Amino acid sequence: MSLPKRVRSAWQYLFGNSASAFGTLSGVLLILLAVVPAKDYFREWLGYQKQYLRLIHGRGDATSLSRRFQGGLQQIWMPELGVVDRCTTCHTALKEASLADVKTQPFRPHPAIPHKLTEFGCVICHRGQGAATTVEEAHNSTKSWEEPILPARYLEASCGQCHLDRLMGTPRLNQGRDALAQYGCVRCHTIKSPDGVTMTGSDAPPPLQHIADKTTREWIAAWLKNPQAYAGSATMPNFQLADDETRDISAFLIAQSTPYQTHKGTEPAPAASQDTAALQEGTSLYGESFCSSCHAMQNTAGMLVGGNLGPELTRAGSKVKTEWLADWLRDPKTYDPDTRMPHYRLDAKEVGLLIGFLSSKSDSDFLGNTQLAAATPAQVEHGKTLVIERGCANCHAINGVKKPDNFAPELTLVGSRPLERILFAPGVPHTLADYIGAKIRQPRSFGNALKMPQYTLAPQQVDALATALLAQTQLAQTLPVSLRIPGRAPSHYRPAGKAGQLIDDMRCFSCHKIDGRGGDMAPELTWEGSSVERAWLVSFLKNPNTLRPSLIRRMPKFNVTDAEASTLADYIMTVYQTPAFDQETLDSSRFTPADVEHGKELFYGKYACQSCHIVDPNKDKGYIGPTLTQVGARLTASWIFHWLKNSQSLRPGTQEPVWNMNDEDARAVTAFLVAQKNAPRKEAAQK
Amino acid sequence: MANSLAEQLANLRDTRVWRSIFRSGFGPTNLHRALAVQQNVFLHLSSVKIRKRSLSFRVTWFLGTLSLGTFLILVATGIPLMLYYHPSVPQAYADMKDLRFAVSAGVFLRNLHRWSAHAMVLLVFAHLFKVFYRGAYRPPREFNWVIGVVLLMLTLFLSYTGYLLPWDQLAFWAITVGSNLISAVPVFGTKIRFLVLGGHTVNANALLRFYVLHCVVLPLAAAIFVAIHFWRIRKDGGIYSGEIKKP
Amino acid sequence: MSEPKDFVAAMDSNSRKTPVRVAFVTRRTSPHVKAHDDDTVMTFPEGLFRAAVAVEVLALILVAIALLWDAPLEGLADPTVTPNPAKAPWYFLGLQELLHYFPPVVAGVLIPTLVILGLIVIPYFKINIEAEGLWTRNRTQRLRILAVVTAVFAVFLAVFHVYAVLIPTLLIAASMFFSARSTPSPGRFQVWLASKPLSFWIMSWFLVQAAILTLIGTFFRGPGWSLVMPWSGQI
Repeated sequence: MSLPKRVRSAWQYLFGNSASAFGTLSGVLLILLAVVPAKDYFREWLGYQKQYLRLIHGRGDATSLSRRFQGGLQQIWMPELGVVDRCTTCHTALKEASLADVKTQPFRPHPAIPHKLTEFGCVICHRGQGAATTVEEAHNSTKSWEEPILPARYLEASCGQCHLDRLMGTPRLNQGRDALAQYGCVRCHTIKSPDGVTMTGSDAPPPLQHIADKTTREWIAAWLKNPQAYAGSATMPNFQLADDETRDISAFLIAQSTPYQTHKGTEPAPAASQDTAALQEGTSLYGESFCSSCHAMQNTAGMLVGGNLGPELTRAGSKVKTEWLADWLRDPKTYDPDTRMPHYRLDAKEVGLLIGFLSSKSDSDFLGNTQLAAATPAQVEHGKTLVIERGCANCHAINGVKKPDNFAPELTLVGSRPLERILFAPGVPHTLADYIGAKIRQPRSFGNALKMPQYTLAPQQVDALATALLAQTQLAQTLPVSLRIPGRAPSHYRPAGKAGQLIDDMRCFSCHKIDGRGGDMAPELTWEGSSVERAWLVSFLKNPNTLRPSLIRRMPKFNVTDAEASTLADYIMTVYQTPAFDQETLDSSRFTPADVEHGKELFYGKYACQSCHIVDPNKDKGYIGPTLTQVGARLTASWIFHWLKNSQSLRPGTQEPVWNMNDEDARAVTAFLVAQKNAPRKEAAQK
Repeated sequence: MANSLAEQLANLRDTRVWRSIFRSGFGPTNLHRALAVQQNVFLHLSSVKIRKRSLSFRVTWFLGTLSLGTFLILVATGIPLMLYYHPSVPQAYADMKDLRFAVSAGVFLRNLHRWSAHAMVLLVFAHLFKVFYRGAYRPPREFNWVIGVVLLMLTLFLSYTGYLLPWDQLAFWAITVGSNLISAVPVFGTKIRFLVLGGHTVNANALLRFYVLHCVVLPLAAAIFVAIHFWRIRKDGGIYSGEIKKP
Repeated sequence: MSEPKDFVAAMDSNSRKTPVRVAFVTRRTSPHVKAHDDDTVMTFPEGLFRAAVAVEVLALILVAIALLWDAPLEGLADPTVTPNPAKAPWYFLGLQELLHYFPPVVAGVLIPTLVILGLIVIPYFKINIEAEGLWTRNRTQRLRILAVVTAVFAVFLAVFHVYAVLIPTLLIAASMFFSARSTPSPGRFQVWLASKPLSFWIMSWFLVQAAILTLIGTFFRGPGWSLVMPWSGQI
């Protein structure tokens, strides 16, 4: 038979009449339907499970591994959290620590974390689609699931959904949250924690109501053009203003400025001392006053040295007027009642020395290109319009311009923002994390008409900010409240009385935290009264020195009088007492030399305290904790005792290890430490 | 082999059990064949004999048959789908995910249901136009045409109510757009929409209503009207196969 | 039997023979009455098997589609996030497209109601049943009416900028005029067109219109119901 004939006869046999066609087609349909279970059989996850069994087959602990392995679809189901996570279907070895050498996914064991793997499931932290059982759909953004896996570098954002406090293990999240406050992000954008607390700025943008007394219009214009040209560490972002815009804004700022209540007239301004000897003296006064605890300055090598609480002073001489500076150094509060700068109580000579030193810190290049003709009223008016448009009053107090409400979009839920609501700049991958990163890095790439200014941020700062913003999710709002670890509520604590006035005058809160309020540059003082001896406190206030050899920053000397030191010490000793224990629980006079000796043995032997602390400056090399050479004079016996028993309850988050000392040991070590009263100080180690 | 299979089948047909099920016996005569149709509760909607010409593809394109076919596929896939579905918010959507990722052949069931639904709408429309262009609506078939229009509307309602059930963005907004049209009805617009949705917006009540309509009310109505439709084909003189060309 | 007889009534006991039908033939209102009926076949197995084969072919196609392409599923319904554009199911996109031009009460209520009513009443109008060619009688008068109706409708559509309806309407009107031409030797296409009744023209117009509007709504409408190309990826 020829081939066409065969084909024809086969066709005839299969489809010759409707009955055989029906039979043939039924067969074909059945075969096609058989693809359905076949497709099920060749599912990705089944393949991975087979692969896993092959992987563990040759290993030493194969028996126990395979006993723990559960085949089939796995899921972690927690209806109250909305968790349906099937990740463990393919990620079979998350709990198998013995597979630590396996580097291929999906079989890598999970690194150790503080939570149980089954406590919250996977997706609450890693995002992605937990219900999915294919690689593509579980990890990537699809039509039916927007949120892809969170890249590892933003992972700390997930911790931030519940942990509104500071966690030791989340440095990037903490850095990001700090940066949100520090760079003034929260002054334009409202950001609320899931517990409803609105984040506040921790920067101190200066008020501009009296700006004309402080600096020149030329400086303002040059600063506005590029703040980082004046000070590399400036927090103020670059608003990318045109020359005529800086001209008009500076015109307006000068025009709106009113004179402030100065010391002028009551005292002559000290003359600036410019000769070399005076300059030398001024330099050392700047150092002795620990100005660099807060202010940074570029040294000759171009390195920035100093703190970031106050503005960088590298080119301060090009900025401020001497009369203003004199006034400011005498008492900063007259110019800015809310400044963080303490009242130093300097005398006229010291003021003069510092003025001389700071005036020498000028940079003629900075203002070289700025020449401004006298401002016209039209320019002033235009300047005001610009100031309103750019939202300057979000940060700065300006006469005649009110702080705008809801100036920028609220970011409380930015971590769950639907991608549909986002317009991506060209070249930005379509994920939320990339969008946030790109937006922080280069806001104007999303449109020239946008108001957000250009910040100067290091890549890790951008990542940290993105991490903090990614923590602002819808999930964080909807998780059960019981899971939430609340952050510190903002405190408006104000000490009262004469001591309160002193604390305010010296701006202790700029560095110290008391009762939830204040900075964290210096130790917290909330329970200071329980911890220290009064005599030590008085002498410390009059002449502070650092307690920790490893720290550079030190408390400035405020030239307090005996009466002031006594007032402060009385207040601290009475008010800042912990309720955790009673001072009378331990009578230090009952300690025997045997106690001291036993304590010494424990100190050097069982607990090896010398790893971090120094008692004998000639022998011990511990530079991490405070020096204990005079600890007996500084700390009370009860404090030491309770500190040894449970330091975390006295100062949560302290680096002091948890010792779980029994009462006898703690008592003996306390006896040893209380005996350390008059050992010679090791000055050299501190310098 | 084929022969023996045929013999086996023939033997099977002679058993008492078989004969108790199929009242008419099996046989080679037209009487047997007629009884096979006439004695069957479903098939008797059709006449025992049909015009040979009406069977040719050119006449109907089998559009009515195919519409029924999609309906049957939809019932067949719809019932298993109901087993995995909760008409509640947001579980409905979670069920879609389960169908996709956890249920054996769940994806296939949903796909087949969805595509068949689209096919049904297309086929019913095509059927309508084909019938119109062939003039098959003319008396005595005018009422069957009306039933056909009713069936078209039922098809649209079935598809539309089913559209909401996955409770995804596509569903929600398609139904929102559609139901906003209802409120354009003069005077009673918003009231009718309230009745349809069980609220002023598409919400959990709307989902439940649409579910009941989609799974109970409309399929039942469609089945009844399909039965009438077929019955009327028979009663109105069979499938209209056009004029005989005179030789 | 070329002439229909007035009345035939007969009885026969042989059920195997085709029974004689009784038919009352009135003028023009019924389908062609056949004195000779067609050959018939048994429904079982001939008809049923054919139907089954047809349904199986359909099932094969649908199963294949279901195996190859997944049904769409988007994110969880979120009343606060409106997709742009928000589209109805495809079979309502013609209406949604009209909604772009006309107020909701017209596009959403009036037009669908008229379409449904129009469909229902088709078989109850004598003119549809006779199905006479549009131009067989009163040609001049009908041409005049057609011209007026087309002009009025065209102006109305132009005012509302409904070009998606206007252009097909004009094309169909043009082919109607074309079919009405009186030429000595008309082409076969023209003859075919000329034999078509009014209902054919209206239905065809409706079909073309529905198809075009649905296609535009489905493939050519993007954010804010703006006109986009299907390959622009904005739909």
